[in-house]
Amino acid sequence: MQLKPDAASVRRRLIAASCTLLTASAARGQEISKLLTEVENTDWHLDSALAYYHEDGRVMAIEPLVNLSREYSDGETLGLNFTFDSLSGSSPNGALPSRAAQTFAGPSAKSLSSARRLYTTDPGQLPADPHYSDQRVALGADWQLPLDRLTRANLGGKLSYEDDFLSASLNASIERDFNQKNTTLSFGVNDENDLLHPIGGAPLPGSDYLLFEKSGHKSKNGVGALLGATQVMNRRWLTELNLSVDRFTGYLNDPYKIISVIDGSGATNGYVYESRPDERSRRSAYLENRVGWDQASAALSLRYMTDDWGVHSETAQLRTRLWFGHKSHYLEPTLRWYRQTAAEFYRPWISSSAGQSTSYASSDARLGAFRALTYGIKYGMQLDQRTGRTGSEFSIRAEYYQQTADSRVGGPGALQGLDLYPALKAVLVQLGFSY
Amino acid sequence: MKRGLAAMAAIVCGAAVLSGCSSLGVKPWQRDVLSRQDMLLNAKSIDDAIDDHVYFSKEASSGGRSFAGGGCGCN
Repeated sequence: MQLKPDAASVRRRLIAASCTLLTASAARGQEISKLLTEVENTDWHLDSALAYYHEDGRVMAIEPLVNLSREYSDGETLGLNFTFDSLSGSSPNGALPSRAAQTFAGPSAKSLSSARRLYTTDPGQLPADPHYSDQRVALGADWQLPLDRLTRANLGGKLSYEDDFLSASLNASIERDFNQKNTTLSFGVNDENDLLHPIGGAPLPGSDYLLFEKSGHKSKNGVGALLGATQVMNRRWLTELNLSVDRFTGYLNDPYKIISVIDGSGATNGYVYESRPDERSRRSAYLENRVGWDQASAALSLRYMTDDWGVHSETAQLRTRLWFGHKSHYLEPTLRWYRQTAAEFYRPWISSSAGQSTSYASSDARLGAFRALTYGIKYGMQLDQRTGRTGSEFSIRAEYYQQTADSRVGGPGALQGLDLYPALKAVLVQLGFSY
Repeated sequence: MKRGLAAMAAIVCGAAVLSGCSSLGVKPWQRDVLSRQDMLLNAKSIDDAIDDHVYFSKEASSGGRSFAGGGCGCN
């Protein structure tokens, strides 16, 4: 994005350029032109947001984000981004509701009797740790470098830190334009390395919750590749197709998730820690179309994803922007539909009487079958004339997200009549400022 | 079956796009609409970053538009 530097800076540089112009020979004209171009392109662009996220009866989060980007006169661009998350509230621990009260220990406990912090879930309620709290800081950088008139290289990295999690990733890609820059092909690779140090230690997958079999740190690694093509269809329409694969290996469990062990009468006999495979491979196809009119534009994206855990998902999102008042204001309604099938080892509970295999099992609702809808609206106000800078904007955005479980299997005996698959409802409110 | 059709449709669309490249597109002076900020496909939108982070932490799928993974212990 082309940006205007402040007036004093422009004046100084123009005076310098003028002096040079008066005294330089004709051979230096090209150099002066380069300097003037540099003056036009050496400012930073700021994109920032403050997001508030709240789940009904569960967690809430506050997340400030700051993106800084700069385009240099030789075509290089540098992007820096900073994110901070602060989460608190109740986080489901994976156990089922029960007709009896259930007592659990906080994650730092070494035994139920010596636990510094216990929490009790009332009969019929979804067990959730009410003292969940987490902070995350993430820093990222992206650098785009032109290799020739039609080819660009991109390098990026990201570092994310939480009390119990550290993630570092690097990515590199190359893209080239064809057909008078109407077609662009790109290929990129990504490598992510994560270190998990769960509070109280990483539980032995599938172990009895009451035995507290935990050990120190764990790690996981992910590698991915993405092949992309974009095509200008006509003056108002462009399309993008991405095909991607990735593979994660290592400790892929959620160290805080347990599963209820249920007997034939529906009573809870105990709990075990979840156990997921230590490998996961995913493939996805992503297609996006953008269409622009004089006073509106629309973006329709479709994604199909599948993995070797048995999860298949389809996503469709439509985002439409409607401009008003000579493009000084806009409204942007969004609708997103999502559906996924369950992982093969997803089990809401483990039956003690049926002798179910516990080789791999997880009751994490995120691995279950569900569908989700998001409704959103954004209002944006252009501030270019007030700030004197192109791309200045104030915006406010609100979204409502709801997940509803599919394939609900009823519980035995006493579990009948209890809500074993409560819907997840969340709202997001975001303020944005660009300069 | 339905999944197979979806994958097939994506591949056919992609092939159609790529095979028709030579007859598609615009001249450099016809990029007025395409150069608008709301038409940039690869814009690293802060809205997308926030949404992707929410969906990454609540769903089993992520990525597609760009690399998957969220650098987050939440999933």
